[in-house]
Amino acid sequence: MTLRPVWSCLPGILGFAFAALPTPLAGQSFVGVGAFGLPIEPLDARSLAVGNLGIGLRGLELSATDPTAGAWVPAPTVGASMQPTWGDFTLGSDTGTSNWTRFPLIALAYPVISLGGTVTLSLGEALEQRWVAEIESVNDLGGVGVPSTDRFESEGGSSVARIGWIHRIGTSVAVGVQGGSYVGRLDQSFTRTLDSLAVGGNIQPFVAGGAWRYGGKTLSLGVSGQPTELIHVAGSVEWSTDLEATPQNETEGDVRKFGVPMKLSVGATGTLTPRIHLNASLRMQDWSGVDGLLRTETSDQSLSYGIGVEWRAIERDTRSIPLRFGYRSVATPYKVDAENLTESAVTMGLGFNLLEAQGVRLGWLDVAVEKGSRTSLSLDESFWRATFTLGISGF
Amino acid sequence: MTRRGPRGTRQAVAVLAVALFAACQQELPTAQDPDLVPIDVTTVEVRLSFSEFAEAARVFEGYGRASELGSAFVANQFGGDLDAATLLRFGNYPSVAQVLDTTGTTRPDSALTFLSGRIVVRLDTLSSIHSGPVQFTAHALSEQWDGVTATWTSAIDSVGVNVPWSTPGGGALTPVATGTWDPAQGDSVELVVDSAQVAAWGDGLDLTRGVRISSEDPGTRLKVNSALFWLETLPSINPDTLIEVLANNEAFTFIYDPRPPVAADELRIGGTPAWRSVLDLDIPEILNGPVDLCAEVACPVTLSEDVISFAALRLTSRATPASFMPSDTLSLDLRSVLAPDLLPKSPLGPTVVGLVGEILVPELFGPQAGTVIEIPVTGLIRDIVRGETVTGEAMTNSIALLSLFEPLSLQFVSFDGAGAPAEPELRLILTFSNGIGG
Repeated sequence: MTLRPVWSCLPGILGFAFAALPTPLAGQSFVGVGAFGLPIEPLDARSLAVGNLGIGLRGLELSATDPTAGAWVPAPTVGASMQPTWGDFTLGSDTGTSNWTRFPLIALAYPVISLGGTVTLSLGEALEQRWVAEIESVNDLGGVGVPSTDRFESEGGSSVARIGWIHRIGTSVAVGVQGGSYVGRLDQSFTRTLDSLAVGGNIQPFVAGGAWRYGGKTLSLGVSGQPTELIHVAGSVEWSTDLEATPQNETEGDVRKFGVPMKLSVGATGTLTPRIHLNASLRMQDWSGVDGLLRTETSDQSLSYGIGVEWRAIERDTRSIPLRFGYRSVATPYKVDAENLTESAVTMGLGFNLLEAQGVRLGWLDVAVEKGSRTSLSLDESFWRATFTLGISGF
Repeated sequence: MTRRGPRGTRQAVAVLAVALFAACQQELPTAQDPDLVPIDVTTVEVRLSFSEFAEAARVFEGYGRASELGSAFVANQFGGDLDAATLLRFGNYPSVAQVLDTTGTTRPDSALTFLSGRIVVRLDTLSSIHSGPVQFTAHALSEQWDGVTATWTSAIDSVGVNVPWSTPGGGALTPVATGTWDPAQGDSVELVVDSAQVAAWGDGLDLTRGVRISSEDPGTRLKVNSALFWLETLPSINPDTLIEVLANNEAFTFIYDPRPPVAADELRIGGTPAWRSVLDLDIPEILNGPVDLCAEVACPVTLSEDVISFAALRLTSRATPASFMPSDTLSLDLRSVLAPDLLPKSPLGPTVVGLVGEILVPELFGPQAGTVIEIPVTGLIRDIVRGETVTGEAMTNSIALLSLFEPLSLQFVSFDGAGAPAEPELRLILTFSNGIGG
């Protein structure tokens, strides 16, 4: 268990405050430790609070997963999300806790009125590999049992930097395209420290390490529209080249490639009453045939879904406070103990729409809280996850 | 569009503050499952024989002088053959003394008359070996001698100048005083010198002046912490009173015999002047054995500094001749030799055994001779294998074993060297891995 000093989070706090730093790569799960880590949803707090998978949420200003989100923002809009997570796990006979803060999404939408569209930029997390294994053992050295402590630390992950264009067609349809590039880095280190008392002093720990830089491209196409005033629908498809991990510095070995399957997403929001909206989203991504996963069996499942409700509980002329509830079930790419592993979460949240004009948010702070779990025969991870998104439009 | 309300701002700030506070604790999940570690690591112990890790062992002598020790020795056939004597030379007698006159006032008196004297010899009782009271004799020297370089055989043994005593051990001697030290009475013995000898030693230009203090009782070896010459003086201001003034020491050293030769298969450190032992290492770059290693990892393997978790030099203690048997602990130092071509005068690198050195108890070189002493040298061996220190300074393959200070003591200690039954060994604990697969 690793405790970081309080001041160590200062860069992260500043990054959140200024919303200008790249997304730190962070994670906290044993899922995918033998592959490329745990996929992360690069979503804002509003999407998470209503159980949405990042597609088809009406009025969503910024997104890394919906190529047409932000089609209708009237002014340049920027937002950033911060996501502290508290978890505990059971892995075989091990139990432990963890907590960490990640910045899953930083995004910007910039309308170009003269061209009838919007430029989008985003940096969203994709995968995370941050975990530690610490094993104590006894080595037989010259007939003497010498205790040792092995520590393996994995730190890093990848994000996707995307740039896109949304083109408005008429007053209710938009099409979007996004091109993305994987960025990020993985550092892993192993340290074996022998008991100096048993050996005789002056021990130097054995250290081995490696570093890899992630690379790869993505392309997304999307369309959204409102068949009626009461319904908003959207869909997208995303292709990805292999995710490549290139050894850095003196790290030995070849470039490793992980296949990333095509992702199909659809979602819709329906207006039940003027203040209550129901949304649902669905995603298909078949991991069963991908290559490159070491020591890990791929999942048979491919379907993820989410559903939720948003209720504008308090509504004033220029401000409102919506309450949100939802549920989400996400298929991970892996099997654990020959069993498909699913992440499921009950979600809730609220928003502080600090300034609204004609139904368009110009300044907001959204908060989401999720209670989720990932469970298999030997691995049981549960977590509380909060997400805070600060957005400003018309700056 | 209206101004943002203050309540909403307060709420947002409060929520944000909670979020920032929540972000300040970070803790990675830590499991104890070996299956999570994607690397195979093996740790093995290897012992290299002397011929496997070294080319040669050499012993050098002559570091420091007896006069630099700060103490001296007196011995009489100790251990069967060791004779030692303390040599003293006094400076000019004091010309002025502060004297209390008949009115009770202290005044300087420059017309002093020296009547007699006494040499007070103070002994280190813990480091001295004897069986009871010891008879001391003081002899006046009669030949020119050098208080810095004198040895048992040479009155002067300086660069380019070697003047032997007419008789080894101090030349022609004239007995001037005797005294008996009774250990039960204290740690000092007084040797009373008559007025004629006091007057004879009063000539500060006489380079032969000096006193040799020796023991008359065989089987003794006594360590002398100090020897002071007190002069009984008659002042001119107050002739009814005798006062004592101290003559400064101009030289305080000792001479001894014999100086035992070094055996070909011996490593030796300590003594006065001191011995150093130098090992010229030749650590293999590739290991293709021993069998225990190759049973654990696929031989041959490269011996790089990264795989060396621990290294220790294993030395086997050897019995020291009784006459030079340590009576106290001795601190062993180990340093790299910076310029082996300049030996025996090569500068040495920093110590690798800490400020107090490796403490060796005297029993290791007497009743417990044959004990293996392990000196951790991990950093040094890693530097040698790397070819430079961690700060980028060049390394040589030679290391020196020496006493922590030179000279530290008359006594020395020995270890089995190259060709001896228990040659030095290099103990290595090595850790190999197949690398992190990512």
